[in-house]
Amino acid sequence: MHAAGAGQGKVVGGILVLLGILALVEGVRLHALRTEMVAGAVVGDDTFPLIVGVALLLLGGAAVLVRLPSAKVTIPRGPVRARMLWGLALLAIYWLIVPSVGYTGSTALVSVGLFRTMGGYRWPRSLLLGALTTGLLYLLFRVWLLQPLPTGWLGY
Amino acid sequence: MVDVLGQLAGGFGAALSPMNLLMAALGALLGTLVGVLPGLGPTAAIAILFPLTTVLPPVPAIIMLAGIYYGAMYGGSTTAILLNIPGEVASVPTCLDGYPMAQQGRGGIALGIAAIGSFFAGTLGVVGLTFFAPFLADQALRFGPPEYFGLMVLAFTVVAGLSGGSLVKGLSMAVLGYFISLIGLGPSTAEPRFAFGWAPLMSGVDLIALVVGLFAISEVFLGLEEQRVAIATTIRSVFPRLADLRQAAPAILRGTGIGFLLGLLPGCAPGVTVFLAYDVEKKISRHPERFGKGAIEGVASPEAANNATSSAGFIPLMALGIPASPPLAVLLGGLLVYGLQPGPLLFQKNPDFVWTVIASLYIGNLVLLILNLPLIGMWVWLTRIPYGILGPTILLLAFLGAYSVRNSMFDVAVSLVFGVVGYFLRKYQWPLAPLLLAYILGPLLEKYMIQSLSMSGGSGMIFLQRGMSLALLVAAGILLVTSLVLVRYTSRRVKQETAEEMAL
Repeated sequence: MHAAGAGQGKVVGGILVLLGILALVEGVRLHALRTEMVAGAVVGDDTFPLIVGVALLLLGGAAVLVRLPSAKVTIPRGPVRARMLWGLALLAIYWLIVPSVGYTGSTALVSVGLFRTMGGYRWPRSLLLGALTTGLLYLLFRVWLLQPLPTGWLGY
Repeated sequence: MVDVLGQLAGGFGAALSPMNLLMAALGALLGTLVGVLPGLGPTAAIAILFPLTTVLPPVPAIIMLAGIYYGAMYGGSTTAILLNIPGEVASVPTCLDGYPMAQQGRGGIALGIAAIGSFFAGTLGVVGLTFFAPFLADQALRFGPPEYFGLMVLAFTVVAGLSGGSLVKGLSMAVLGYFISLIGLGPSTAEPRFAFGWAPLMSGVDLIALVVGLFAISEVFLGLEEQRVAIATTIRSVFPRLADLRQAAPAILRGTGIGFLLGLLPGCAPGVTVFLAYDVEKKISRHPERFGKGAIEGVASPEAANNATSSAGFIPLMALGIPASPPLAVLLGGLLVYGLQPGPLLFQKNPDFVWTVIASLYIGNLVLLILNLPLIGMWVWLTRIPYGILGPTILLLAFLGAYSVRNSMFDVAVSLVFGVVGYFLRKYQWPLAPLLLAYILGPLLEKYMIQSLSMSGGSGMIFLQRGMSLALLVAAGILLVTSLVLVRYTSRRVKQETAEEMAL
């Protein structure tokens, strides 16, 4: 466990400054476009990106410079971190395979994986839980809510 | 008065239709179901269940969402009392005496008192909504763009109340929310902003994808990290004895008064009023030493204050379009998804909708009381579901929920990215509520500012020259100071009780 104060401020502040620069660049582009397209208009689509850009720069600077309340943060390690990373990886895989494998097949695969890795269940129980969850979600989204879900190569 | 009652009667006529009644009951049930899951507060509950309502027409959908909101609020108190786990900061005071009551074998009575207090306070809040909101909306009908701009600035004072003790963090998150809201087509020329020629970005970041990521996916990872475990608890009776009711009734009344009156102020979240109610109760008690050891008033008062504030929060939400707390910000987003802009014009343009929803809030409160007392055994059983089953199930629901709104894999990617971002932000206590609020209110602030400045030829003096606009800006300043004082007080109290800092 460690107290995070200045470190988090620098990271978030840095990101805010970068986003602020991005907003200002976009604001300048939109400003040029407005003066070209709408003659005489004093405000337009560029106004808020410019304001937000300046605000992001100021707050980003403040986050870096001002002493923020320290937070006791525990960085997950060992099996907990592994479970979290597995969960995230499986969600990313889910996102990748849904369009090709289809909703039902990919949900079955990923749910078994999630119960195995995040839940820590043995394979037989993970398979059972995965099958149950896939069936229930199919009923909920496909049958009850009539959602058009991706069908993929398998056709379902 | 007669007019209001007539419209309310019409609202009841519609709200009592089988479909709407079913949605109120289903919403209350589902909300409680998710709310009782350890660690999941009302915001996460609404975020997870939000996509399920999108297939419904607007009226039953909003009725269901309101039911989910009430249900999740009540569900949060269940975990606070039985497991000593507050889903949100508003449930922290309930833990202080509710959990000791559960340890003494009086958990059922604490749950019963919480349900009765919530029902009483919630209903009184809806009475206030019935009579006060139309009046407020009527006044606001005279508003032009500069006044609406003032109103939006007033709404942003809520950010101070949701900053969790650090204004720099709160404002940073609000401006980040603003930045996200700018992605998509510009309101004046429909020129893509921040899209960089990539088509999916042109339609902007979807609200539900954002909410699901920030509040639901991040919650699962936090829960996994905390290694939440199920705890066995047995409940005998949830019906309080007459002596318990006698002891709790004055506390319920005081909690309701504090919660309702402060809840009318935009920027005063339930997290603030519950601590005030608890402290007042302790201060005026003849036996303050009982507090923290299972005093029934210590459960009754903050629970009543919590629900009174939540219900009172519907007044600025419906009449002015200002959400006072994160779950109400999600509800506001729900209304916007259906093309309904909360505010004075909602009462003019969609009176049937408004009065049906208001009537359904009365029904929802009653349904919640009727369902919760007999079903408490089931809710207790649900708290025992292992996190190894809950976590993956919530993730799958969140994934499909984010996809189902626009049938877009881009939205799913957005929710995954914001799930990771939300996890780190929450871990380092950067409040998410201001981000959400700014994301929702940002486009409106932009619209009214551009309209106002177009009216004045670019002069910002227009906001100071019009009486109502100036009054709203002054009120925003006063509220900002009040919010900061209240937030400082609440942050200190939260730290005292939990040795942690929590976003309000």
